Amino acid sequence: MKLSKNFTNPLAANNPIIVQILGICSALAVTVKMEPALVMGLSVTFVAAFSNLIMSLLRNGVPSRIRIIVQLVVIATLVIVVDQFLKAFMYDVSKQLSVYVGLIITNCIVMGRVEAYALGNKPWDSFVDGVANGLGYAFILVLVAFFREFFGSGQLFGMQVLGDWYTPNSLMLFPPMALIIVGCIIWVHRSFNKDLQEK
Amino acid sequence: MALNKNSNAYTIIYTVVMVVIVGALLATLAILLKPMQEDNVLNEQKESIMKAFGAEGESFDKVTVGAIVGGTQFVEVKKDADIKAAFELISNRKALAAEEDALPIFMYEKAGETLFVVPIVGKGLWNDIWGYVALKPVADNMEVVGIIMDHAGETPGLGAEIATDDVQGQFAGKQLYANGEFALKMLKNGKDNRAYIDGCSVDAISGGTKTCDGVNSMLENSLKKYAPFFETLGVHVNVNIE
Repeated sequence: MKLSKNFTNPLAANNPIIVQILGICSALAVTVKMEPALVMGLSVTFVAAFSNLIMSLLRNGVPSRIRIIVQLVVIATLVIVVDQFLKAFMYDVSKQLSVYVGLIITNCIVMGRVEAYALGNKPWDSFVDGVANGLGYAFILVLVAFFREFFGSGQLFGMQVLGDWYTPNSLMLFPPMALIIVGCIIWVHRSFNKDLQEK
Repeated sequence: MALNKNSNAYTIIYTVVMVVIVGALLATLAILLKPMQEDNVLNEQKESIMKAFGAEGESFDKVTVGAIVGGTQFVEVKKDADIKAAFELISNRKALAAEEDALPIFMYEKAGETLFVVPIVGKGLWNDIWGYVALKPVADNMEVVGIIMDHAGETPGLGAEIATDDVQGQFAGKQLYANGEFALKMLKNGKDNRAYIDGCSVDAISGGTKTCDGVNSMLENSLKKYAPFFETLGVHVNVNIE
């Protein structure tokens, strides 16, 4: 039971972006189109899952004085692995994501989960926690990118879906619109989750 | 004896072992993936060149890779290793800017016309800018067929606009020289600017003046080296003896 709750919690009730408000900056930067948003979401999922797994395996041996450094080394290594693979196999996407792949290292979700969860839980639980948090992040990213690409350029995954009659609303392509869309998603989400509402 | 995980010795050994493992892992990965990454960069260069020629999506095989030797002589580069070296020179922006002996050039036949692409490199406001300009000889001048420009860190929305089709599209049909002087420049348009020459000048980007100045020096400095070769095609150039 714990495992399934571990998995579903970060997807909605405790979503890293819309509840914990973590990882917002990359959510603004890579959501103009759906493809980079999806790749970014999957990259963060990969890094979060494996950094949680590795840190959980190492958790009994890490000297507590340097545990933050060890976490950073593990996360940075995984990010470099992702970056190198994208450059080799998905060159166009890696160009669109540019510096944001490298900045996964500083994504609060990844380090937050390692520090808060992986250091005190078993490897498999930690791995599931990382996957779920990454997917929760990816889901919001793709949702924001859906609205921005659909209304901003009349396309989805680069394919024209709206006809010539539609004048693209380029306001949607500006970074502030990502914040406004995230705000709207939070609004809808809280209206269904009464316990999140502040009195 | 229980291991003291908070002792200095344990911490130092732990760090050293970790760094060695991670270093070896990343080095192996980088070596394994390098050929694929290099292919991607090479393909991108070839696509940019075809785009500058106005033949986007067409095969690079029809393009003749060449070099201008001794200032005026076009020499075809045939060997694969030499072609690879030419592209490596273009990737290495510092070396390309300093190259004087064998200037890389690409030749392509399109609708009975001979077009040339020359790589260009320079400095923008914040960082390097580079690109490819496609040219064709017209009477005693060189005309721009197309230009591709990219940048490493110009300001988004201002200087970074040089990488957009809107700005690059304005270069098509412009001529390099006015009365033998290099005149392809991005300048403020308007009646009060006498330096603006219709047919040579391109409307500069408001707010991106420093980047446009960088584009102007990039074009002038990179194309200056090819001027003696252009003269052999019948172009009238005043070569300044400094």
